[in-house]
Amino acid sequence: MGVLGISNPFAGGPDNLLTYLVLAAFLFAVGVFTVISRRNAVGILMGLELILNAAGVNFVAFARFHGHQLDGQVFALFIIVLAAAEAAVALALVLAVFQTRQDIEMQTVDELKR
Amino acid sequence: MDTAASLVFWITILFTAASAVLVGTARKILHAAFALCLCFLGVAAIYVFLHADFLAAVQLIVYVGGILVLILFAVMFSSHSQETPGETPRGAFALGAGALAGAAVFLAFVLLVGRLSPPLEGQSAAYAAEAYRHTVSVTGKEEGLGHLLMGEYLLPFEVASIVILAALLGAVVIARKETR
Repeated sequence: MGVLGISNPFAGGPDNLLTYLVLAAFLFAVGVFTVISRRNAVGILMGLELILNAAGVNFVAFARFHGHQLDGQVFALFIIVLAAAEAAVALALVLAVFQTRQDIEMQTVDELKR
Repeated sequence: MDTAASLVFWITILFTAASAVLVGTARKILHAAFALCLCFLGVAAIYVFLHADFLAAVQLIVYVGGILVLILFAVMFSSHSQETPGETPRGAFALGAGALAGAAVFLAFVLLVGRLSPPLEGQSAAYAAEAYRHTVSVTGKEEGLGHLLMGEYLLPFEVASIVILAALLGAVVIARKETR
């Protein structure tokens, strides 16, 4: 057993499922970091896109290494569709907030908490 | 898989990971948006490595051509015109909390993958033998995808189209300036 139970994670290359899983985990983690630490609403949205991309990579990787089935690719397609819808609505909300406040810092948008 | 392809693969992986880090750490939000563009391109290349050509094309068209343009539009629209689009520096608490959560998530996933590793590696080895024949013979994947979308996944497909329609209408209504 090598690092963290993975026997030599760099042995893989393009033909090893683990490479893709570790990359997707990394993308997901960076997305979480971005969502938590950014103050700008658009920045938070970018973190969400990273997280959705990580999920898509996972789906496609599992689909390919499970006998070349295409179901995973269909799921990734649906992820992309939902990401597009989510981005459109979220950016419209950002623009609406900006029109009323001239500011999209998430720390200061707290009218409902007062 | 020969050495050149392997080299390109690792460069792609590093490129994607590095641009993702830049999305999280860039000081200016506009730079983060451009880094996000690079990251989407890297993910599209990874889809190609996973033999998902159609998905790579969709990734380019929808993410780079659609979502990224929307994001850039929002960044430029929502910044004050005098200065370059930026954001106020993040506090040490936010950075620390984000880094902690990100590291915890990454560690959890890698541990999970490590736990799964023996069966997965068996699968990869079994796959590797099969793979070479497949890489030559897998054609008409797009055709299979179309059959799946129009057959087994027809209902989700139609629901997704309604969701998109509703989301676009909602976005227009939300973003519209109040005239009265």
